[in-house]
Amino acid sequence: MDATLPVQMVLGALLGLSVYLPLATGQLSLATPGFYVIGGYVAALLSTGVAALGGGEPSYPLPSLLLEMGLAALLAAAVAVVIGRPVLKLRGIYLAIATIALVEILRVLNLNLPFTGGAVGIFAIPQPFADPWGYLLLSALLLAAVCWLCARLGAMRLGRAQAAVRDDELAAACMGIDTAQVKLTAFVISAVIAALTGVISAHFLNTWNARQGSFDASITTLAFVVFGGSRTWVGPVLGGLVLTALPELLRPVGDLRLIVYGLVILAGPVVFPQGVITPERLQHWARHRPWRRPSPRAGA
Amino acid sequence: MDTLLQILFNGLSVGAVYALFALGYTLVFSVLGVINFAQGAVFTLGAYFTYLFIGGGVGSNGALAGLQLPFALPFWLALLLAGLAAALVSVGVEAVAFRPLRRRGAEPLLYLITSLGAGVILVNLIQILMGAEGYALPAGALGWLPVTITLAGASVRTVQVLLLLVAAVVVLALTWWLEGTRGGRALQAVAEDATTARLLGIDSDAMIRLSFAASGFLAGISGGLVGLSLSITGPYFGIGFGLKALGVLVLGGLGSVPGAVLAGLIVGLAEALVPGEWSGYKDAVAYAFLFAVLLLRPRGLLGRPLDTRV
Amino acid sequence: MSTLPAPALLRAEGVGCRFGGVRALSNVNLAVGEGEIFGLIGPNGAGKTTLFNVISGLTRASEGRVLWRGGSLEGLGPERISRCGIARTFQNLRLFDNLSVLDNVRVGMHRVAGAPLAGALLASPAFRRRQAEVQDQAMELLELFDLAALAPQRAADLAYGDRRRLEMARALATGPSLLLLDEPAAGMNPAEKDDLCARIARIRERFALTVLIIEHHVPLMMRLCDRLAVLNFGERIALGSPEEVRHDPRVIEAYLGGRPAGQDP
Ligand SMILES: Nc1ncnc2c1ncn2[C@@H]1O[C@H](COP(=O)(O)OP(=O)(O)OP(=O)(O)O)[C@@H](O)[C@H]1O
Ligand SMILES: [Mg+2]
Repeated sequence: MDATLPVQMVLGALLGLSVYLPLATGQLSLATPGFYVIGGYVAALLSTGVAALGGGEPSYPLPSLLLEMGLAALLAAAVAVVIGRPVLKLRGIYLAIATIALVEILRVLNLNLPFTGGAVGIFAIPQPFADPWGYLLLSALLLAAVCWLCARLGAMRLGRAQAAVRDDELAAACMGIDTAQVKLTAFVISAVIAALTGVISAHFLNTWNARQGSFDASITTLAFVVFGGSRTWVGPVLGGLVLTALPELLRPVGDLRLIVYGLVILAGPVVFPQGVITPERLQHWARHRPWRRPSPRAGA
Repeated sequence: MDTLLQILFNGLSVGAVYALFALGYTLVFSVLGVINFAQGAVFTLGAYFTYLFIGGGVGSNGALAGLQLPFALPFWLALLLAGLAAALVSVGVEAVAFRPLRRRGAEPLLYLITSLGAGVILVNLIQILMGAEGYALPAGALGWLPVTITLAGASVRTVQVLLLLVAAVVVLALTWWLEGTRGGRALQAVAEDATTARLLGIDSDAMIRLSFAASGFLAGISGGLVGLSLSITGPYFGIGFGLKALGVLVLGGLGSVPGAVLAGLIVGLAEALVPGEWSGYKDAVAYAFLFAVLLLRPRGLLGRPLDTRV
Repeated sequence: MSTLPAPALLRAEGVGCRFGGVRALSNVNLAVGEGEIFGLIGPNGAGKTTLFNVISGLTRASEGRVLWRGGSLEGLGPERISRCGIARTFQNLRLFDNLSVLDNVRVGMHRVAGAPLAGALLASPAFRRRQAEVQDQAMELLELFDLAALAPQRAADLAYGDRRRLEMARALATGPSLLLLDEPAAGMNPAEKDDLCARIARIRERFALTVLIIEHHVPLMMRLCDRLAVLNFGERIALGSPEEVRHDPRVIEAYLGGRPAGQDP
């Protein structure tokens, strides 16, 4: 069996979680594809440009891949801190537009910078795994780790602070919560998740270019969260898995598939304004100690 | 080598398109407080409608391959009809992507997704029907008008002059409508406070539909004008304009009509002044402005102060 | 005017605040002593809430300053001021509606509920013990406000009176030494008001609190407060014991609907 689609689905779920974390703090950030692209370029540039990383073996060494992931995470975190401080002061639609602008600026830079390969991008990115199953394992491990983090947040004060900021930022500040710090933390974690996903994706796709991070990607990843539900982390995971698979599953309908996709994201919010997965539904399905803040800890 | 005057004209005419686009966003935003992301697709539709009405034929790739309307209208009539058709589509978008959510009092975030869904559907419909190829409006589309005219010693393309003129007329008409007519003032009342407006007997549903119609008309017209002056590069060509217009919108101040116009012209001019060797970065100009204004003056150039009431 | 009790916990010095053309506060001076229940009364729009906003860092004063234990609060944001030990409730209730009642209080305990990251991520026994302690303390507070039975409910689903009490419990959870209550009795019936009065007196004893309270119901304020200040059109027109304030002619005038002489509408 070919594992290509499952890998894409898991990567989609990761991107969904990357959008979810700021949203769980009440911040509509569409910057995820920007950090995803940064991660991908880190991987593409290092693995094609630094011979030492290749180690002269037929398949790209795993430690080099992990090193790329570490560097990409650092770079994304640094960019997120620098950009996040001023940008997260903006609210609502202003923040959304500013992050769209960020993604577009990155796209223009990637098209024009001397080392990113222009419109063609970078290709022949070496493969650490012989077949998609290796990628599936790696990305599933990453997804499991991020899910675990999200699940633990429900029991941690950071998670409660996020929920409080989402509900009423001003009241949260009056409770002694450093709201700027909470928002920035969520933004940085989101950036790191996106960059790590980008690293895996660049190797998996074998080629990387500026088109990977476009406005379309911003909206697609947001659709993962809105469709799946933005009030628990299970929603974005489900949304990412399903909506990534959808266009592929719709291949039989040929040209109409993007129209069907459009119909799904048009009708989804109308039919499920809260997303398919809500804390209430989860609670209904798996009754656990009900006085916990509705957060699906049992699933992790 | 273009003269400075030509550069300015290029800049202003592109800026006028941004301004019209941003005005369309503004109309919907001031009434509903949300951005209609389907507007890029409506803009694209406007361009294709203009192309068809003017007598252009469909290429070989779409489902409608070879189709040509049995008439060829003069460009001004084609543009007007395209604007009206786009207005209709925009009202349709409101009916499927906005009204059902409004009925349920859903979060504004959801409109973003549904309007984008509507946009995706429209763009792909175009692609299926007309193919992915680009279309250039036929030479001689402007009828008896010359291709270039000479202004102050520089020769400028007639389309650009037309574009500026049409944009100016549309902006003036819009301002007159908003400020000087009952319908326009009712719209402003809804924008100010929907509940009070309802108590005053204003049908806010009708006003919302009206704002979508007007914004669709603006998008359609500007799409047609861009199609005339540049070319239609494919079903997706409205998206880039739509994104930049977002930057323009924030630069001018959300909800401000003169702000949108001013910001559109500023961005258009700034892009035109980007030197040739940096032209690849031209597309980032609008966003750079946007960042600067967000950090220095979040309400935009002519926007109202943000409400900070506790 | 009565003399100030010795060490002022909170002191407003010439505080002024304007919004465009509106002068919400002008030259307000007052000092709240440690352990006092200090009342703030005045007609609608007098600037009472604005004074709270200035004290809690939500609004910046355009003139003057607020001193806390002798040090200036100038330029501090709400989270810093909360950490100084000043907590507040809101006139129009600002609960975390989507959080449970228990979590509303636990959010209030933010400052003390921290734990090492590794332990939290791995759900270590130490972390779980600590969380259990936090939860017990939160439940204790809820019990004090007769809300314990409602702990698992969403805050948005509570009845109005319960929501008012929950907001007080949440404010207390931050461990304040000064509690600002903005119209806590609004919308309550007489029995509930009595109950509230007794509760405020009780929590003051129990937590060694100083209380600054805004309330329109004057008889209640006369009974509850040690001292009162009266605001009208942004100015402090009277200050003193309930008895003194009751007989102040300017207060009577303000409450009978007149405008202070020399002020245009
Ligand atoms: N953020 C703001 N922007 C503009 N005006 C404001 C703002 N906050 C308060 N005001 C104005 O300041 C004045 C004082 O308001 P404030 O809320 O402090 O009155 P109050 O004494 O609490 O009245 P009430 O008893 O009705 O609660 C009012 O005229 C109000 O409209
Ligand atoms: Mg008040």
